[in-house]
Amino acid sequence: MAQNRNKIIELFIGNISNAIVHEILERAVSKELIAGKYRKELIISFEIAKRYREKINPVNRPLPDKDAGYIKEKIVSRVKAELMIRISKGYKNIDLSLVDGLVDKSLKDTKIKL
Amino acid sequence: MEIIGKVSRGSKMDQVYITKNRVGFSIGNYVVVRPLEKQKPIDKLHFYGVKELEPLKLEIVHEVMRIINKFPNNYKNVFVMGSFLDEGFYFNDIDVIIVTESKINQEPIKKDIKKKTGIKAHIINLSNNEFMRGLETDPLYQMMLSRCVAKKRFIYKTKQNLDYKLLDLHLFKSKALTDNFDVLSGSEKYDLVRNMIAINLYLEKNKISNESVNKEIKKSLGVGAQKIKQNMIGKKDFLNRYKLIYNRTFTKILNGIENGAKQK
Repeated sequence: MAQNRNKIIELFIGNISNAIVHEILERAVSKELIAGKYRKELIISFEIAKRYREKINPVNRPLPDKDAGYIKEKIVSRVKAELMIRISKGYKNIDLSLVDGLVDKSLKDTKIKL
Repeated sequence: MEIIGKVSRGSKMDQVYITKNRVGFSIGNYVVVRPLEKQKPIDKLHFYGVKELEPLKLEIVHEVMRIINKFPNNYKNVFVMGSFLDEGFYFNDIDVIIVTESKINQEPIKKDIKKKTGIKAHIINLSNNEFMRGLETDPLYQMMLSRCVAKKRFIYKTKQNLDYKLLDLHLFKSKALTDNFDVLSGSEKYDLVRNMIAINLYLEKNKISNESVNKEIKKSLGVGAQKIKQNMIGKKDFLNRYKLIYNRTFTKILNGIENGAKQK
């Protein structure tokens, strides 16, 4: 059971990380994105993450500080790694300073932490 | 003798009430009831990539156009597209693009379409510039418009404008499939696959249409679109191929971003 919980937490981390990367990339291309609004939204990572969150106990309360801290650390590192790949190729306008704030917001929105 | 009446809602059956003081229309007579308003004929529609459309769907498209016409605006064009135009009745909603320079209030149009056809409408309101920019930069959009019914004739010929950052953003959505294969439904998987394959074809400057994308899905992933939609695919082989294409496409996009940065 514990192993299963860990796996779900990892999947949750992966999806929240993708959602945050997506948001930062979206902000980086905001000017060009006028055209994006006609796209019917694909299933987005944040929605999937919420599905996993519903399987992580306690569902309606924040997770213990230790778990929440671990999740935050992993998300921050994954998001930065994904963005660094792009920055190293000369991608401009990626604002790494947004990462911490967006991670905190996502964790609050999904009731991982207070 | 003619009497004009209004259809009223009843509990078990609807009815038309007529005055008791009348000439003719005696109790027990049979009468004909028909709508007073004649439906306004719609100008000839223009079909792009639609070889055949069931008569019932054609009537629905006409109804949608009539409803939109009822709401005055200087429409440049109106498009009906998406899975509604596919053969059969497996669609969830009807996708409509309204091209107009001013903003429209979508809610009453959606409500009217739902009321008259029973189908939920997904409406997108774009200016002409936004519409053209979309066609130039988004492969998925090109694919959608390769098969559509348009109110007015339009020339589907735009220059391809490779915006690697936008493509990166669009492709990134498809990453969700690799981690979440087990929890995604068939249609969610298909949307993500289609997105990736359309981008891949676009980068190779190939023609983007529903058929070309589905053909490429079959060729590169070894499984047809229908099987994916029905969620009947083997995980291991499928994911191996999928990751390969995803990584290849991502590398091309990164190289494009790198070259673009060097040129600046």
